[in-house]
Amino acid sequence: MASSQGAPLSPTATRSRKPLVVTEQPKFDLESYIANYTGRTRLERLLLIGHCSSVVGVDALKLAVKDAKLGKDITRYLDAQTPLETLAPGEREATRDLAWMDKTKALNLAEISRLESEVKGYKNNLIKESTRIGNEDLGKHFQAIGDLPRAFEAYSRMRADAQTGKHIIEISRHLIEVGVEQRNWIAVTSNVQKIKGVMDSKDPDKSLQPFLCAAEGLASLDGGEYYNAALQFLQTDSGMGTSCNTIISPNDIAVYGGLCALATMERNDLNKRVLENSNFRTYLELEPHIRRAIGFFVNSRYSQCLTVLESYRADYLLDIHLSKHVDDLYYMVRSKSIVQYFIPFSCVTLDSLNEAFAAPGKTIDKELAMMIKNQELEARIDTQNRLLTSVPLAPRASLQASTLQTAKEYEREARRRIQHMNIHGADLEIKGKKNANQLPGVDEFYDAGIGGRELRSGRNVAF
Amino acid sequence: MADLLPKLLSFPPHPPPAKPLSDQAYDEGIREQIDVVGKLTESKLLQQTSGGEHALDVINPSLNSIPYAYILLANISAMRKANSKGVDFETLWDKMIGFLVSFDPRQIRYIGEEFSAIVDAVAGLAASNRQSYLAVAPIATALTRLDPTGSMLTTHHLTLVKLALESRNFAAATQVLDKFILYVPGVPTVTKPKFICDMNLSPVTFITDKSKLTGKFKYVDVLEYFLYSGMIYMGMRDWDKALQCLESAITYPAKENNVSKVMVDAYKKWVLVGLLLEGKLLPLPKSTSSGAAKCYHVMAKPYETIAQIFESGTASRLKSEAEFGVHIWRGDLNYGLMLHVLSAFQKFQIRGLANIYSKISIPEIVSQTTSAETGNKLPTPQAAELLIQNMITSGELHATMSTSATGPSILTFSPKGQVLTESQMQRELAGSTERILALTKEIKQTDRLLTHDKEYIKFVQKQKKHVKQGGSGDQGIGVENMDWNDAIEDEDIMGTMY
Repeated sequence: MASSQGAPLSPTATRSRKPLVVTEQPKFDLESYIANYTGRTRLERLLLIGHCSSVVGVDALKLAVKDAKLGKDITRYLDAQTPLETLAPGEREATRDLAWMDKTKALNLAEISRLESEVKGYKNNLIKESTRIGNEDLGKHFQAIGDLPRAFEAYSRMRADAQTGKHIIEISRHLIEVGVEQRNWIAVTSNVQKIKGVMDSKDPDKSLQPFLCAAEGLASLDGGEYYNAALQFLQTDSGMGTSCNTIISPNDIAVYGGLCALATMERNDLNKRVLENSNFRTYLELEPHIRRAIGFFVNSRYSQCLTVLESYRADYLLDIHLSKHVDDLYYMVRSKSIVQYFIPFSCVTLDSLNEAFAAPGKTIDKELAMMIKNQELEARIDTQNRLLTSVPLAPRASLQASTLQTAKEYEREARRRIQHMNIHGADLEIKGKKNANQLPGVDEFYDAGIGGRELRSGRNVAF
Repeated sequence: MADLLPKLLSFPPHPPPAKPLSDQAYDEGIREQIDVVGKLTESKLLQQTSGGEHALDVINPSLNSIPYAYILLANISAMRKANSKGVDFETLWDKMIGFLVSFDPRQIRYIGEEFSAIVDAVAGLAASNRQSYLAVAPIATALTRLDPTGSMLTTHHLTLVKLALESRNFAAATQVLDKFILYVPGVPTVTKPKFICDMNLSPVTFITDKSKLTGKFKYVDVLEYFLYSGMIYMGMRDWDKALQCLESAITYPAKENNVSKVMVDAYKKWVLVGLLLEGKLLPLPKSTSSGAAKCYHVMAKPYETIAQIFESGTASRLKSEAEFGVHIWRGDLNYGLMLHVLSAFQKFQIRGLANIYSKISIPEIVSQTTSAETGNKLPTPQAAELLIQNMITSGELHATMSTSATGPSILTFSPKGQVLTESQMQRELAGSTERILALTKEIKQTDRLLTHDKEYIKFVQKQKKHVKQGGSGDQGIGVENMDWNDAIEDEDIMGTMY
């Protein structure tokens, strides 16, 4: 249906996201949290925390400035330093180090031209291996200075000179790293597929499987496909260690996987696939509260489960991959809990639901109405007696109704087909002027019955 | 006249013989009689009987339809010529109407031309006297009597809907419109029926333009019939049937990407009627041709926008959109329908509440719904009460309302799924089965028409030959003037291509 122009946008699309500000104290310790990561993701994470958290923001930015000055990325340095000028002008890190910036800029430019001329030289001399490594160096440099599109290009150029499967894996790993930072999930998934295509050699790299799962999981998570994301994270082999800490830490696997599973899986699946999953257990042990939350859910202690999750909300809002999805995931867990809570009853008072799920002083009425409207909850609200009643199942009536409906549709469709055939047969269909010289009757018949006429006339033109 | 009467009444034999006439004897008898009656001059037909009675008073139209029709026509033409020998207008009108509702459907098949002339005369006279509404019911009855299955479209159908629309006498026409049109005149009849007096014949075989029971059709006429009958149901607020009629128009088969303006008009109305019926933009029927679908989306964009807002927008947006496009609706003569759509918006909201609440107070309904006619909430709970009461009485809402002296009125929605009782359901199911079985017969009939078509048989023959010669046998057909050998060569070229 052509609905692109003038179509009312869905209510979710028009909602502009307010800049996120987290005022609660996160549970993690900044230093040890960031120590889990290396590479550019460190800076990125620090910047997000710095921009969003009012509690640990300044510390995060200070760390980010320090980190940035160790590297070569001027833009990132400014990203970290500029807010500090207003937030904490007294700090040493708040003053802009122009000398460092100029120096780094010059060095970066010199390095680019050096590497580029090197690559050119290798290319002219047709030294494949060196061209590949030259391109890799160039890519690394671009990545380090924050020019991601050119880094992506440079890494992609490596492919022309790749000779072994190992090379291809290397290239794709680089591309995935850049892709994750660019949020270019299509590139990420396609490169994951490329690695999978060449991976089946005899000595598989143990660290590769977790890396691929993490990359694919992140792609699904970002696309809002929480169930697929959960499956990916849950498949991750144990023993990731620090091998992927340029993009993700083992703790993240536990959190992402646990939350996605909690939001999308049924009770039995949660038990079997999450709690009893020996691979995933090693990750869950790193984040025991996720394990606790899932345990509570499985044991039908929904309010405790929600409390645990709620207490970590600030942490997750400050996570680069999770922050956009926290609200959605929490909403899903919450509505699932309400549905599960209601299943054994035919009638529940709204007050008891309020007690179990609503924050003190608030009511759950609106939320329930939304859930019923979205067909997440099969129930009806009685606002007079303040009750939530289940909808009586009437399988017989609904089967009969659907039978009648099907029969009716069949009848209509069949009649319409007969009508059309007869209109064709009577040579009464609408014809354009250009067909006036064709044989009437005959053509229509073949069009209607066999569909050969068009092919044929096309052919006559072609030959 | 007296000497004529025995001749006129010679057939069918009266009183009917113990053993009914065979179809053959009937056919022979009636043809002979038509021959005789047809040769009589007008003046002879206008003579009075020896007793001074008028011939039309003597002959029973349900027994001797043929002489009656001829005499009737003679009188009509006499009246047109202002000939004093004819009867006065009042009597003649009564006789014409009487004939249409009582003629013998078996005999009438032989005098298609006369039948058509009488129908046209009734329609014409009524229209010229500005009393079209009087003609609707008799013509509808006549068409039903002629073809009880009602599956065959005739030119009289078109006359009927035009009259009905003009005079707003919708109800009288529905006995014809309720029947789904399966056949249109012009279908090449496969086998000529031996005797058209056979009462088991399908209408396709005896209602043809050759038998003059219908005129010839152009595609626009067929489309107009569907559109007009849709409009008649719209006039009766029967949205479901209106939708069906309009669907026949919008799915009308077309070659290549041709679309008729009538189809686009029908589509615009279809969108609005769909809203009134289901509250949303319905998906196009499967059999819509793709060229037409594309065209609809371009030509009826404002309507689709309205539908989308109706589905997911707010009352005030719907109102402003409807006001913004007012010249469009007026131009398409859909303004009245649009007003219906606006007033239906809040009703759909209220019905939607039944999916969420089991019991709710009127003030809560007032605060949760908005009227698209004003763009605001209802002014008072009383207004809401009135609206809901009307909805319950008209069967649009399954609910009960209880008022209390102290508090606000409370609306209790009936649980779903128990709309029909068990025995009602049984009947519905049985009826549906019956209709589908009847439909299966029609499918067989159409199948037979297609497989016995001359061109098709030729095609099958050629195909068989082709298989014998070792060709791939898929499409060595199509162009009559093409040499057979050329066709084969053609085939081979394609073979190498693929």
